[in-house]
Amino acid sequence: MPVIETKELTKYYYLGRNKVVVGLENVSFSVEEGEIYGILGPNGSGKTTCLKLLLGILYPTKGEINILGKNQFDIEMKKNVGFLPENPYYYDYLTGPELLRFYGRLFELPEKVINERIEKLLYLVKLNDAKKLALRHYSKGMLERIGLAASLINDPKILILDEPTTGLDPIGCIETRDLLLQLKKEGKTILLSSHFLSEVERVCDRIAIFHKGFLLTTGTLKELMERYGVTGLEELFVKTIEEFDKKEKQK
Amino acid sequence: MRKVWIIGLNSFRESLRKKTLYILLVVALIVIGASKAFSFLTAEEELKMIKDVSFSSIEFFGALIAIFISLTTISNEIEKRTIYTLFAKPITRQNFFLGKFVGIVMILFLNFILMTLFFMGLLIFKKSPPDIQVFKTLFLIFIELILIGSITLTVATFASDAFNIIFSVFLYIVGHLTSYGNQLIERTENIILKGLGQMLYTIVPNYENFNIRDKVVVGVEVSWNYVTKTTIYGILYILVVLLIGSYFIQKREI
Repeated sequence: MPVIETKELTKYYYLGRNKVVVGLENVSFSVEEGEIYGILGPNGSGKTTCLKLLLGILYPTKGEINILGKNQFDIEMKKNVGFLPENPYYYDYLTGPELLRFYGRLFELPEKVINERIEKLLYLVKLNDAKKLALRHYSKGMLERIGLAASLINDPKILILDEPTTGLDPIGCIETRDLLLQLKKEGKTILLSSHFLSEVERVCDRIAIFHKGFLLTTGTLKELMERYGVTGLEELFVKTIEEFDKKEKQK
Repeated sequence: MRKVWIIGLNSFRESLRKKTLYILLVVALIVIGASKAFSFLTAEEELKMIKDVSFSSIEFFGALIAIFISLTTISNEIEKRTIYTLFAKPITRQNFFLGKFVGIVMILFLNFILMTLFFMGLLIFKKSPPDIQVFKTLFLIFIELILIGSITLTVATFASDAFNIIFSVFLYIVGHLTSYGNQLIERTENIILKGLGQMLYTIVPNYENFNIRDKVVVGVEVSWNYVTKTTIYGILYILVVLLIGSYFIQKREI
């Protein structure tokens, strides 16, 4: 049963007179409950636009979004969603526990639950030794980890992660990957965007390839490799994009 | 309402970190303190001077703080991209906007109280404890500051910081001159100009309504009736402005 569904999702950015930039064009896909779905694409392909539309941060030009049976602006639905933005920036004067408490309160969680989760999540992302450190003193990797913890403060059913391993060192990447697989085992649905092919290949059940605002293809890696007659994700990625660019040139 | 309060408290904490706030506060306290320097005046004149300078400083520097804090509170969230994580949470955009307003009121209150306490200290030092007229004056100044802050905050929902600061300062000046403007309108014979002028006179906030210091300093008593009416005017204006801001924040693409 899909927990996330988009139908002909379209976003145009209007930049001055007669200048329209396509953010997303007629994108339809669905994410099943309990799976990890990866959105792949080069920079500017529409990955982040898509995630922002799903979270109600941007307004679609056209199309529909359905998350847990509700539209993207529904407050009750958002209580079940966790989000990690790309290169997360937070209130840098707060410490890790203060940041998690702030977000926990916005979810209207009882203080006792918030306290328990802060302890658990800081341990999970290995930041329990940095409890008294303000975020402005955090490294990029630490910020990514506290962001991940913040996205889990409400124990969400759905996790939306925008480039979750950007800024992480190789060990951090492996730890994040293991964490995502663990969360999947716990029954969470994860939608992530990335341009790291190996990361997507290892954790995602299904993938979608975006380019220039279009959804080029979607399915399991095995299905797609068969469909395109390729032997790996890298080859698949290059082939789909090249085919699209070729068709576009012919037009 | 709890979410509004949580966002407001966080916004307040964020504003407390702005150095400009402290610079303005220190300058205001120096100016208020300097009013005591006119020791060549008679005791009564000196007291008038202290009151006049202090009221003016609290109002002027309070207005600068209101504009400065309200100007950047939303744009900072957009620039630092913290707004993305906020809007992904179960809050409405109105919660966010009103939270920002609450944060502004808190920071204005803190500054206002600090300046007021300093002023009160001066009055007590001069063996002239503040009377009810002084409190009425200060109360109306505070309402005016909230109104200035709410207008700048609302403009921040749809305009750039550069436009907003020019607009807010311009409105602050014009808002103190509307009474003179009205006199000019009445003298004008051109119907179009008169209509346009009257429309502007109705729309532009009349900040002079909140100014009773000139009367209080010279000992003229201001009635409770006037204070109540002006307070209602201020609150209604703030509510309308916040409604407009709520509409624009809802429409805004981040």
